[in-house]
Amino acid sequence: MPGYRPQPDRDSLGWWERVARRQFAVQECGACGTLRFPPRAFCAACRTEGWNWREVAPEGKVESWIVNRRPFVPGLGDPYLVVMVRLTPVPGCLMYGNWRAERPPEPGERVRGVFTQVDEALTVLDWMPESFIPARPAENPAAG
Amino acid sequence: MPKRLLEFRDRTAIAGVGYTPFSKDSGVSTLTLACRAVLAAVEDAGLSPGEVDGLATHRVGDSAPPTLVGPALGLGDLSWHLDQFGGGSVSHAVVGQAALAVAAGLAETVVCYRAINARSEFRMGGTGRGVPVSPEVQYQAPYGYVAPPQQFAMYARAHMLRYGTRAEHFGALAVIQRANAAKNPRALMRTPITLDDYLASRWIAEPFRLLDCCLETDGACAVVVTTAERARSLRRPPVLVSAAAWGGGTSHLSCDDPTVTGAAGLAPRLYAQAGLGPGDIDVAQLYDCFTYSVIVQLEDYGFCPKGEGGPYVASGATALDGELPVNTHGGFLSEGYVHGVNHIAEAVSQLRGEAGDRQVPGAEVALSTAQPGYVLPATSALILRRA
Repeated sequence: MPGYRPQPDRDSLGWWERVARRQFAVQECGACGTLRFPPRAFCAACRTEGWNWREVAPEGKVESWIVNRRPFVPGLGDPYLVVMVRLTPVPGCLMYGNWRAERPPEPGERVRGVFTQVDEALTVLDWMPESFIPARPAENPAAG
Repeated sequence: MPKRLLEFRDRTAIAGVGYTPFSKDSGVSTLTLACRAVLAAVEDAGLSPGEVDGLATHRVGDSAPPTLVGPALGLGDLSWHLDQFGGGSVSHAVVGQAALAVAAGLAETVVCYRAINARSEFRMGGTGRGVPVSPEVQYQAPYGYVAPPQQFAMYARAHMLRYGTRAEHFGALAVIQRANAAKNPRALMRTPITLDDYLASRWIAEPFRLLDCCLETDGACAVVVTTAERARSLRRPPVLVSAAAWGGGTSHLSCDDPTVTGAAGLAPRLYAQAGLGPGDIDVAQLYDCFTYSVIVQLEDYGFCPKGEGGPYVASGATALDGELPVNTHGGFLSEGYVHGVNHIAEAVSQLRGEAGDRQVPGAEVALSTAQPGYVLPATSALILRRA
């Protein structure tokens, strides 16, 4: 999906770098262990700064979706589906992505994140039904 | 609630309202619109511009701040001003802040205004000017998910999935508000619509159709805030600020339940401050950037049980002759989009008994609300009362 490109900042750069390597990671608080997304310096639970990246399964459940029918973003004229996903490994956190299936989502459907390489410089995270994912993890390998 | 807040209740008043005409192309700058609305509000209050000692506005980098409007109107020495960054979620906070400044004695006559060329110059969330300034945009923009109609459609579907809210509920609301606008000479859209018209309107972002969405309007609106005591000596019947509250809301990246807004947390504080409850509200002007935002607020402000906002609207309860008339001016959906200030001004008109064919008989207490706290975690609201 072209259109707007993310502009990583000093909090998010490491997250996008991992997405580019097809790694799904969130922050884990060094003091209390709370997982968090999006990336930021402070843990909202214990208000400390120390943290590390923690790879987690890109799994979630469909909370809502839209079918976009207007060209809100230049170059995106055809209908496309954006899904709101509640992350299973990170309580309270929502993520978005485009829907990688020919049929619409089902309410509460279990989904899995998949990486889409838009071009040489940009990889993004999309979502597809968990039932679409083959059992072998090698199907969606980490690059490099 | 802090004990001293009780001293705030009914200490200040809205003494005047002012409008420019609403249009699709004002042909003038937002500075000009702001000056016209400020002067109209001051005139309505029976004051002279030289008596204004405070100015306040909210904007997202798209309009004229007090530091331009003050000098442009020859108001050389403002003792208080506020240039609040933000969209519809802070619209009512601006008036609340002004009331606090007046109650504290920092200023005596504050004009709160919003001037916007939302149709001809700055289309919010549209394709013309890029995305809002928030780092969180990077987690949605790559998916073609940037504009308010898309985001509120996402929350609307979550509500539909959880509670069975249907398109017909959204449509009923659009139909009712258009009927109100038909009685409002200021409204941009005055031709009545039917539920079939709603259902036939084109898709914007499913589940939203065109008639779920607010207008994009050029125009300005202003209100004069002063002390209750002084307001009683002015030209118009004073409308007291009984309560003003601020609240949190839902970050679009983290929340436990996207069908509950910041209004649910704010409402108890707001009502307590006024010493009133939902049953005391005679008329409500609820922020209607989209049909859904009204339905969720009816629930979160306690007018109906959670999840029943859709059936409540479809029952006719929010119509002009219903138990709680809502958005009697037609709202953003049909009057025009002036980012919350036209909702406050309509509440004032109703409490003065000056709303003409759309007057709610005997209206004494009004609730007026800002965007209930989606996308950016902030919201605000006012309870106003006839003196």
